[in-house]
Amino acid sequence: MGDSREGRVLRKIGGVAYWAGGAPVMARLPAAIGYRLACWRGDWLFRRHAAERTELAANLRQVLGSQLSPAAAQDVTREWFRLASCEAVDVKRLRHSALPLRRLVEIRGREHLETALAGGKGAILCSAHFGSFDSAFSLLNPSGYPVTTIGRWQHKYTAGLSAAERRFWALVYAKPLQRLRQRPNIEPWPGHLDVAARAAAVLRANEVVTICIDAPPLDSDQARAVAVPFLGGQASLLPGIVTLAQVTGAPVLMTFLHRCADYRHQVLEISAPLPTGGDTATAFARCAAEVSATITRSPAHWRYWASTTDLVTLGLVPPLRDRSAAVARSVAVAS
Amino acid sequence: METIIKDYISQELVRDPELLPLADEASLLDSGILDSLSLLQLVVFLEERFAITVGDADLLPENFASVNTICAYLRAREPAKQAAHG
Repeated sequence: MGDSREGRVLRKIGGVAYWAGGAPVMARLPAAIGYRLACWRGDWLFRRHAAERTELAANLRQVLGSQLSPAAAQDVTREWFRLASCEAVDVKRLRHSALPLRRLVEIRGREHLETALAGGKGAILCSAHFGSFDSAFSLLNPSGYPVTTIGRWQHKYTAGLSAAERRFWALVYAKPLQRLRQRPNIEPWPGHLDVAARAAAVLRANEVVTICIDAPPLDSDQARAVAVPFLGGQASLLPGIVTLAQVTGAPVLMTFLHRCADYRHQVLEISAPLPTGGDTATAFARCAAEVSATITRSPAHWRYWASTTDLVTLGLVPPLRDRSAAVARSVAVAS
Repeated sequence: METIIKDYISQELVRDPELLPLADEASLLDSGILDSLSLLQLVVFLEERFAITVGDADLLPENFASVNTICAYLRAREPAKQAAHG
C-alpha cells in the first residue's frame, strides 16, 4: 500500500476498525490468543504498509547506523508493528480495575518507589514513548499509587485529524487510560503558566508524577531545549523534569515497560532514584542516557521510529533536503 | 522589594544576557524569561523570601507580567497577610 491519499484513508479506516472492534474482542480472549492475533495483525501491517515500513527501517538505520544490519532493521521494524498492535490490546485490557492487564504485568523496583514516597516529597517517574507507556502509567493507580501524568494527548495535536477523529481517539484511547489514573493529565500547552506549579502541588501531596522526556519540543519550547547525547547522536530535549525535581526536592526514578518474548507478559521496571543535583543540563543528560540505553537495548519499543518529522525535530535525523544534498554529494564524490 | 525580585530574576532566571539589565516594566512573559518552570522557581523564591503562599488561582499572567506587576501583586497581599497575623 503506497503513501497515496487512498492509502492513507485506508490505513485510517483500518486503525479505527482495529481499535473500535478488533482490539476490544482480542482483549476479551485468553491472553495467549489475543496477543497472538495482535502479532498477526502486526505482521500483516508490516507486509502491507510498504511506505511506512520503508520509512521506519530507514530511520532505524539512519539513527542506529552500524548497530543494525539491513536485515536486523527489518526484524526490528516487524517487531515495531507487532508491539503497536499489542498496545491496543493492552489499553482494552484496562477495563474494570485493570485486572486483565495487571495479571500480565510484573512491577519490579516497587521498593524504590515506596522508599521515594516515604521521603514525603512525592516521586517523579521519568519514562519515554517506549512500549505501552501510557498503559503502564494507568496501571499504577490500581496498584496503589495515584498518578498524574504531565503530557499532551496525541490526538489533540496531531496534524490532519478531523474533529470526529479526535473525538474517536479521545474515546477509545485517552478515556480508558484517564479513567484509571483518576487525576487529569497536566497538559503543557504553550502559554499555560501553571503547569509546573500544578505538578509541584501533586508532589507536595506526596503523589506520583509521570512524564516522558523524549518528546520533540514544540516550536515555542525550542529555546528551553538542551542538546544531550542520545542514541549515538545529539537530541534536543526539554530538561524541565530536572528543574521540577530541584525545586520540589522530589526524587526522579526511571520507569520502562518491557514486553516479554511471549508478547502477553510485560515487566514494569522502576529504577532507584537518579541524582538530580548540580547543573541542570548534566543532571538531565543522566536521565536521557537511561532512556537512550533502554531504547538501544529494545529499539522496537520506541514509538518515534515511525515519525521522521519527530526525529527531525529531535535532531536525530537531518531534514529531508539536507539528506538529499548529502546523497547528491556522496554520489558526486563516488563518480 | 523591586530590587530583591529583579536581582533574583536577573541572576537565576534570565538565560539570555542581552535581556539584562532588566527594566521594572519589561515583559517577563513576552521575552521568554518566565515560563511554567521559571515561574515555579520564582514563586518558591517569593514564598520563602516574603513568607507568603501563592495559590494556584494567583498564577495569572497579569500578576507576573513584569517586576512592577509582581510587586503590585505582593503589595496587594500585604493587608491580607497583616490581617492573618493580627
